[in-house]
Amino acid sequence: MRASYCAALLALASTACSWSRFDDVSNNAPVVVLHKPGSMKDGFGQSVTTARNKDQVEVLVGGPLGLSGAAVFQLGLSDQPSTESNDSAYCTGGEPCFLASSLAGFGTATGPDRVRPLCFAVGAGTVGTEGIIVRCSDGSEYPLAMPQDAKEVFDFARQQNQFEDFPLAADGTDNPSVLAATPTGKAAWFYPVGSLKFSELAIPKVLKDDSIGTKLAVVPVGDGRVYAVAAPDAGHVLLWKSDGSATSSYIGCLGGPPHLGRALASGKVTRGDDDADLVVSDDVNVHVLDGRALYNLPATTSTDCSFGALPAGALVNSFGCGSNRSATDCANSGFGAALAVGDLDGDGDGEVIVGAPNMTVREEKRAGAVLVYDVENSADTAFADIRFLSDASEGDVLGTSLTAPHLGTRDVIVAGAPGATKVAIFYCSALLGAGKAGGRCP
Amino acid sequence: MLALGVGSVAPIALAQPRDPAAKSLEGIRAQMEKGQGLYVAGNYAGAAEVFEAGYATYPYSAFLFNAGVCYQKLNDVDRALAKFKDYLRVDPSAPDADKVNARIAALEAAKSAAAAAAVVVPDAGADAGPPQPPKPAVVVPSGDDQNAMKSLVVIETEPDGAPLRIYQRVEAAALPFKLGAVNAGWKDVLATHAPANLTLDVGHYHVVVEKFRDFNASEADMDVSPGHVHQLKANLSQGAFMAFLRVSANVIGAHVWVDDQKKEHSEWGETPHGELIPGGRHNVLVEVPGFEPLLTQVELQHGEQKELDVRLSRVNYGVLRFDSNAPEIKVKVDDQPKGVWRSGEEPLDARIDSGSHKVTVSSDGRKTFEGMVVVPRGQISPVHVKMIPKYPRGPAWTQAIVGAAFLGAAIYVGTESNRLHDQLQADRSAGSLEPGDSRITRGRWFAVGADGGFAIAAVLGGIATYNFIKDPLPPSSVKSDKPLEFDDPMKARPTARLEVRGPKPLPIVERPKSRSLEFGPQATSSGGGLFLGGKF
Repeated sequence: MRASYCAALLALASTACSWSRFDDVSNNAPVVVLHKPGSMKDGFGQSVTTARNKDQVEVLVGGPLGLSGAAVFQLGLSDQPSTESNDSAYCTGGEPCFLASSLAGFGTATGPDRVRPLCFAVGAGTVGTEGIIVRCSDGSEYPLAMPQDAKEVFDFARQQNQFEDFPLAADGTDNPSVLAATPTGKAAWFYPVGSLKFSELAIPKVLKDDSIGTKLAVVPVGDGRVYAVAAPDAGHVLLWKSDGSATSSYIGCLGGPPHLGRALASGKVTRGDDDADLVVSDDVNVHVLDGRALYNLPATTSTDCSFGALPAGALVNSFGCGSNRSATDCANSGFGAALAVGDLDGDGDGEVIVGAPNMTVREEKRAGAVLVYDVENSADTAFADIRFLSDASEGDVLGTSLTAPHLGTRDVIVAGAPGATKVAIFYCSALLGAGKAGGRCP
Repeated sequence: MLALGVGSVAPIALAQPRDPAAKSLEGIRAQMEKGQGLYVAGNYAGAAEVFEAGYATYPYSAFLFNAGVCYQKLNDVDRALAKFKDYLRVDPSAPDADKVNARIAALEAAKSAAAAAAVVVPDAGADAGPPQPPKPAVVVPSGDDQNAMKSLVVIETEPDGAPLRIYQRVEAAALPFKLGAVNAGWKDVLATHAPANLTLDVGHYHVVVEKFRDFNASEADMDVSPGHVHQLKANLSQGAFMAFLRVSANVIGAHVWVDDQKKEHSEWGETPHGELIPGGRHNVLVEVPGFEPLLTQVELQHGEQKELDVRLSRVNYGVLRFDSNAPEIKVKVDDQPKGVWRSGEEPLDARIDSGSHKVTVSSDGRKTFEGMVVVPRGQISPVHVKMIPKYPRGPAWTQAIVGAAFLGAAIYVGTESNRLHDQLQADRSAGSLEPGDSRITRGRWFAVGADGGFAIAAVLGGIATYNFIKDPLPPSSVKSDKPLEFDDPMKARPTARLEVRGPKPLPIVERPKSRSLEFGPQATSSGGGLFLGGKF
């Protein structure tokens, strides 16, 4: 008995001796955390978006609204990203700029004089003239024109020296159409592909809720686009479609579940077509709507907001929160606070990535988690994965913001945890098959 | 019935005179034996001087006669004649008066013959100077040897006044004297009354105390040796002859009871001890602490003197007498508690079977002694226990405790480190591990801390072990003194006689009668009564 104790003690001593094993375990960790630039305030990671141009992939990380700008990080196509920002001057220059709560990335941006790679629309500001500010990886900036209502809101805010949000969204293509809105001005507009000019979306007067335009999404369907503008306080999601030109038509309003439109995202979710789909969350569930079905909706003047007008098959699936032993308390998890679509397994269609920033992780309240759902079709939806920070702490609120940059053969999850001033890149996924995981994954 | 006891004891040192008369007799004896010794050695002048001095102190005629013999040996005829004549003058009824007169006549004849021879001596020559008076050539009667000395015989009776008659054996082949018989070969040399101081020649005598008042006659043989003082004392109340018993043992000072096994009376004496006791069979109990009591019987004939030499065996147990330099000790023998000794108290005595025993002595703050101690038989072995203070283990304990704390902390943080590593490994496998996970740093430091803790614990453990083992102080020890005899509550501590290796002596040894006159206790075991005893 005594010998066994001694042996156990020696074994303990010998294993504990190798402190270098912690280097081994932490080297090439499956999660990479982007470092907050010193110029940014806490709350780093409030918003994230991505842009890809050929073999260059960048992630733009926004800070706390009204307090900080955004910084861009180069991920490259491999799993060895730069964790230090190569440009943290987004929306922080000498000119006035209101960083948007949601950002838009351009693989290729058509500026006023030339085409620029890897640009991001970061908010409303002034670059010579007022507009939506686009800053590119080469450091150049240019404005996108804004409607008069938006200008007035901007001018007023600037005069009052108060923050004003101008949410943005892009369709995720290399040369995207961008959607913008001003909830204060109760207006929304879009920029057709390659256009510096805006095209206003006609919001029915009865649907002009105070929260309208706080969440946006652009769903590319063929050459056309479906623009989704949410008024989550009212639980409405207003839809327009455009054939790629500057004209658009209102095609209806989704509604019903409380706070429908808490978050919007677009991406190719369902298998069988090349069109993107719209992902909408409400207080409880996330709904996947077939992009093509939406695009096929006829123009309407109805202000009735429901799922009832949708054709059969338009609503691909709806699902709720999932949990496991480490991530719990779905009911209060804030499930659906952020959405993204990414092809995590590289099979050609994307998985729905849902942020649950208030989820309890390892008994740490509001540590936050990111849940992954593999939605194949209306009959096949699976809670596929859940991601959280291994060093989860209370108040991290991981999943406040989400994006899914494409790294060659697959997408990875980039999630903001502004409570921890972290933005984490999850390189591994339970959906990844053997041999596709890379060096960071088991 | 009248009885006469005659005895003899050997060691003069053990029999001291108790009264002035006895002291006087002892002085006579000493003077007489001294002169006799010088005479035997051929120092006639010295012997004569001693006898003369003896007479001056103790006016007994024997001194005069013996001095005359010495002068005769010195051819000093005149002084010899003077002493012999003084002898007869002092003791005109001396039984040997005829012999002395004959000796005087012979000396005077020799003196006359020598004077006549001196007158006829021729002149040596005219040139030889004035003539010198010739020295008479005395022819001294020959035949005086050491037996020529006379002895003093003191005969006493209790009560005084008993008529005495002394017979001398004149023929060596004479039959033993028998009262009332013809007794051929015996010569009636003297009739007197007790007490009597007699000067007798060397020879064998028979003393008869004749019928006196209500006492019957009694008798005893007596050998008179040259130049000695003999004493006879008749206890007329005993009605029987006394015997003399001397008890000796291998232990001096052993207590002797005679015919008193229950020790209801005072002891008879202490070995070696002898005195007159009635004849017959006696039970003798010899006892002394530390020895097994010995009870034996002795058969004494009337007038017999016997020495009983007993050998006492030690008891089969002994006593260990503990004391120590420590304020208090606890003693165990063969793992059995024997008591507690404290400083200032009498030593702790533990009675234990003789032989080798395991002794354990403990004391607070001191090293426990454990060892074998030999317990002597029937003796006290003083055991001085030197208790050595325990070497202070405070530093060792401190090191051990601190080391244990480090070890415990190392085990804890090591376990924590392992747990964190396992968690991190699991998180890595799950794809959730971030490089900045605080557990990595924590686990690494825990591992470092565990290693450091193990190292420090090992060092401290080693130092503590060394300090636990290290002990520059000697162990506690015992020192046994020379064994002591058991305390004898009846007297001072006895002294054991030196054990003599060799064949075991018989327990009872009859010894030949001594010819030396000794004094000793003269009380019988039965207590009072008149007695007559003699010691030679």
